[in-house]
Amino acid sequence: MSWLPKKKVVVPVDFSGESEHSIAVALELVSDSSELHLVHVLFPLDSVSPGVLLGDVTDEKRAEAVRESFDKLLQGLNVTGANVEVLFGNPGLEVAEYAAKIGADLIAIPSHGYHGVARLVLGSVAERVIRHAECSVLVLRRSDAE
Amino acid sequence: MKIHPFKTAPVILGSLLFFVSIAAVWAQPSNEEAQPANATADENADTLETTSDEKDAKKPLTAMRRFEGKVDDAFEKFNEKVGGVMFYDVVSLFSDDAGVKVPLAVLWLVVGTLFFTVYMGFINIRGFKHAVMITAGRFDNPEDAGEVTHFQALTAALSATVGLGNIAGVAIAVSIGGPGATLWMIVAGMLGMSAKFVECTLGQKYREVRPDGRVMGGAMYYLSKGLTEMGIGPIGKALAIVFAVLCVGGSFAGGNAFQVNQSLDAVQATIPGLENYRWVYGLVMTVMVGIVIIGGIRRIATTAEKIVPLMCGVYVLAALAILLMNFSEIPAAFGLILSEAFSPAAVKGGAIGVLVVGFKRAAFSNEAGVGSAAIAHAAAKTDYPVREGLVALLGPFIDTVVICTMTALVIVITGAYADPALQTLVEQDKGAALTSHAMGGEIPGFQYVLAVAVVLFAYSTMISWSYYGERCWAYLFGDGASMSYRIIFLAFVFLGSIASATNVLMFGDLMILGMAFPNILGVVLLAPKVKADLKDYWARYKAGEFPQNK
Repeated sequence: MSWLPKKKVVVPVDFSGESEHSIAVALELVSDSSELHLVHVLFPLDSVSPGVLLGDVTDEKRAEAVRESFDKLLQGLNVTGANVEVLFGNPGLEVAEYAAKIGADLIAIPSHGYHGVARLVLGSVAERVIRHAECSVLVLRRSDAE
Repeated sequence: MKIHPFKTAPVILGSLLFFVSIAAVWAQPSNEEAQPANATADENADTLETTSDEKDAKKPLTAMRRFEGKVDDAFEKFNEKVGGVMFYDVVSLFSDDAGVKVPLAVLWLVVGTLFFTVYMGFINIRGFKHAVMITAGRFDNPEDAGEVTHFQALTAALSATVGLGNIAGVAIAVSIGGPGATLWMIVAGMLGMSAKFVECTLGQKYREVRPDGRVMGGAMYYLSKGLTEMGIGPIGKALAIVFAVLCVGGSFAGGNAFQVNQSLDAVQATIPGLENYRWVYGLVMTVMVGIVIIGGIRRIATTAEKIVPLMCGVYVLAALAILLMNFSEIPAAFGLILSEAFSPAAVKGGAIGVLVVGFKRAAFSNEAGVGSAAIAHAAAKTDYPVREGLVALLGPFIDTVVICTMTALVIVITGAYADPALQTLVEQDKGAALTSHAMGGEIPGFQYVLAVAVVLFAYSTMISWSYYGERCWAYLFGDGASMSYRIIFLAFVFLGSIASATNVLMFGDLMILGMAFPNILGVVLLAPKVKADLKDYWARYKAGEFPQNK
């Protein structure tokens, strides 16, 4: 991996405080924010929650809400022109696959997810990304990692 | 990687305990008690002079019987081990009344629900009218954050609570505790309304709005976030984990195996010969639940959930019809219920014994104080947590004060609880079968309607509880772990069909009433926050600040 500015950097975003950190780091690696590809992966919709069975929750609406969350996040960070993508499926695999599809030359990802017991294990998402990615992966240490 | 021992210990301990206890139970060889039944089955298979074809046909049945014995045994062993702690009889209230003991879980529920009722200024009564108006949609605002309307949230919560607990559990309560148990169930239902109000307000208050707009809430969230706010985060986290573990257990037990087990009894009362093929029913149910939770076919589940209010109506109307047919006996029945509540003739433990039975079955049915319904109510669209709490208090009213009471009155008026011909059903805790006999005896053919209703109640309850369990599982293991939960859930659907009613009921009690320990403890600590919110909301409501839809 050369340390020259990257052409395409994929940043998985989970909207935790760590995402802001990884976006900031990724910005330093590219010459223009339009080379940033921010990705949020959603788990497939369940078929038992009240919102799905009786309410109006759909994948389209979820994706729309995520795009709005991206807008808010990027506005807060004062970043314009970054690419935003919402994917469905297993987070690790989807990120790796997406990076390969767009021919990214780097994926920048925080080391830990923060949900449940999974937080004990070095982020299973990061691990999957490393295992499946075809490009280099920059693993960022979570600032609150223990 | 450094692992913070204080933060992670409860996580590891909780999950370890859960799995070790399950593994320990399953690893046990079957005990002696199950042998006689198996031995008879074996003997029959061996001694009968049969052709080889017939013998082959017998074989799977025998193997199935042996497996059924093993499964039932496992449930029993688990119950014995865990039950010792949660149902530890703490209090002997009257020394002259030998054998009167109040299990810890029931004492917890009585004290907790009574406290909420008094502390919230009898919100169960003064908030009732407003609750009905909110549920009717008068205050709905589609712009508020959330996923469902107030009415839909109540429907979802009701589909989880209205199930075999109302039909089978109540029949068991009346046959064990006598007619007097009815009164205590109603009291438990009334007090439970206040508990439900507090916990569901908290469920809304501490829910999480995800980046994709989905809202997630429930006892695990308010215990952990709410108590962290109060500066006792580690305790909150530990309670949340204990709650989540028990709720996962509850979703396998009372919300699943119990439903399959008891609904099968009601179906069996209409289809002779099914008793030898209980596993077939288990298999059908497993497939039906599986196509929804794994196959993702939502339409079936949506229909089942939407049909719940209708089935409640049919059931209540049928019960009312039976009461009208026996109109002249109603005063005597009420007299019996009142007198037997305070001085029961045939119940061990006197009034306290009856109270214990009544509270236990009421809580099992309406889940007040248990904390589960907060998961469903958290999804409602509102900016005022108190508002959804008020909607939630209608749950125990409909579930217990109306539906459970109907079952109880039918069982009392028809005398089914004391009918010598039905004593085997009573002894085996086959409550749904008892109700089926009682109702079928009054309205010829109604047992068939009841069988259909019961299957639908069981089905919608299982779907709703699988959501509760899955949320708790995700809280423990992350959102990506859902599939493993769903597979275990399906296994319990099947197991529920072949274990004995007594053991499945006990297993359900352990898990569901067990959830009340962490939940009520945390909710009591958080109650001052709810009280402050309620005071503010009520003042604004009375001042007419909230716009109303016509």
